[in-house]
Amino acid sequence: MDEEYDCIVLGTGLKECIISGMLSVSGKKVLHMDRNKYYGGESASITPLEDLFTKFGLPPPDESYGRTRDWNVDLIPKFLMANGQLVKLLIHTGVTRYLEFKSVEGSYVYKGTKIAKVPADEKEALTSDLMGMFEKRRFKNFLMFAQDYKDEDPSSWKGMPGFDPKNTTMSAVFAHFNLDKNTIDFTGHALALHRDDTYLSKPAGDSLKRIKLYSDSLARYGKSPYLYPLYGLGELPQGFARLSAIYGGTYMLDKPIDEIVFEGGKVIGVKSGEEIAKCKQVYCDPSYVQDKVKKIIIPQKQVNRNSDIYVSLVSYTHQVAAKGWFIAIVSTTVETDKPEAEIKAGLDLLGPIKQKFVTLSDIYKPDTDGTENNLFISESYDATSHFETTCLDVLSIYRRGTGDDFDFSKVTHNLGEEEV
Amino acid sequence: MASVKVPEQKVILCGEYGVGKTSLFRRFATNTFVTSTDRKSTLGLDHYEKVYMTDEHQGVKLQLWDTGGMERVASITSSYYKFAEAAILVFSLDSPDSFNILSQHLLDIVTYAENAKIFLCGNKYDLKNQIHVTDADMETFCEQCHNLISGTYKTSCKTGQGVEEMFIDISKQLGEANRSRKELDSLNKNSFKITPPEGEPEDSCIC
Repeated sequence: MDEEYDCIVLGTGLKECIISGMLSVSGKKVLHMDRNKYYGGESASITPLEDLFTKFGLPPPDESYGRTRDWNVDLIPKFLMANGQLVKLLIHTGVTRYLEFKSVEGSYVYKGTKIAKVPADEKEALTSDLMGMFEKRRFKNFLMFAQDYKDEDPSSWKGMPGFDPKNTTMSAVFAHFNLDKNTIDFTGHALALHRDDTYLSKPAGDSLKRIKLYSDSLARYGKSPYLYPLYGLGELPQGFARLSAIYGGTYMLDKPIDEIVFEGGKVIGVKSGEEIAKCKQVYCDPSYVQDKVKKIIIPQKQVNRNSDIYVSLVSYTHQVAAKGWFIAIVSTTVETDKPEAEIKAGLDLLGPIKQKFVTLSDIYKPDTDGTENNLFISESYDATSHFETTCLDVLSIYRRGTGDDFDFSKVTHNLGEEEV
Repeated sequence: MASVKVPEQKVILCGEYGVGKTSLFRRFATNTFVTSTDRKSTLGLDHYEKVYMTDEHQGVKLQLWDTGGMERVASITSSYYKFAEAAILVFSLDSPDSFNILSQHLLDIVTYAENAKIFLCGNKYDLKNQIHVTDADMETFCEQCHNLISGTYKTSCKTGQGVEEMFIDISKQLGEANRSRKELDSLNKNSFKITPPEGEPEDSCIC
């Protein structure tokens, strides 16, 4: 490790692995290290099952759980949007060849007292009991508007006279199409995937694009807009790690990271034990630089929760559990000092729970963008149910670190070209 | 568009750093050999596919995967093993150490690719007077593995000796196994690979 590198990447979470892959592909000499002995950091899928129990300070699982190595338990609840940024990254980098996916069976909303399936296509929308007959027509008009919407193209706004992308709020758009409260709730949370209602008073462009992403994703593989990789989300960082390795990246796991070394306010290397690996840049997740990140505080509320509760359910059919078992993750953005009580409504929807693991994670953002000191820090994974913000962060970090957008044409994976 | 599971047979190379896995890969892919001194980096090498005819009508497409050098200082990702139909345990005939550690690699294979057929390959057979791993050693190893090993081979990537024969034999064995497993496979048809949608230009910007 006593060598000189262009970039050292710390942590093998998904963001760091994508960045590492992109840097290696771009011809940078990359050293990629992790303090854990497994790949994936926060976005790992823990296997075998006893490792998960150990992680949560529990005695080993009993025999009823089946073979413990059949389990791959995610630490964060997320799915891929079929037409989203991560799928595009997977395709353009060729990493998709390492993975197999399943389309998630369906998505449902629970409001008041009933569970309703989110319509997967027009036919389902027409037969859905979420809306009355006239509401369905209004909703259809709204969907067509969202489908056509483009930020820069006024001709795509003609469904709503007077529309102004900078000023028209989402609630004004809903009002124009005369949608009722139920439809608005359902559209904002189950289609646009907002976690609370603050979007209503913001300019409509973002929400309209989210709705378009949802319906484009639906058109891709059917049933639901969500994809999930066999063997768990932990397969994603591993795929990008392999990309980095075959383009020359060096991997070291189980390596204590003692210090990021600075000289004259700029990064010059990383110290592990007695060794120092020299480099021009360091990329890392917030856990490696606790003194250079700030914790995001969400204001606490006593009544009327603002944030949605997400329940995700995967099973042995996704190769993440032994036969017959299901893994549910109930998650939310914590708003009170009694976090477990906040997700009770979600827990109550599940069948009998054999073992519950409760975890709270802080959300960190970097203090600086890295362009001054050459230390580029990713943000913690947020509470969204998909990877869209994850990819935006990665692309932004890559741009800050290299001064360029990533050039996908550099990924060749082609033996013939390499051999000449 | 979703495409159903592809019929290729994924074959992975396992073993210590420096035993000749990438050399086997090169022989397989381009039938060439590069000596260590003018070996270029293996950048961008991922996997390579080749069809072997097992009889007049039946072919098997071997898809050989190299480690990408990840085993040098870290561990190989468990993903590498996933969906593998076969694994070749490679060691160097002149290095007892590379042979003795194979039980460790074997453990990884049965853990992460439990349905894979496993083959044993002693490489660097051309180093005639430095061979320190005997046929008897290899036999003992196979016995100790409770006959998990479906075939043993001795190869020289330098001369090419035994390499093609090994892959032909492996493809035969996989072809036979494949026929009997076709029905089982249909159970797992609803997973898929994602591929670029037709009509979308390859270089479209994702930003």
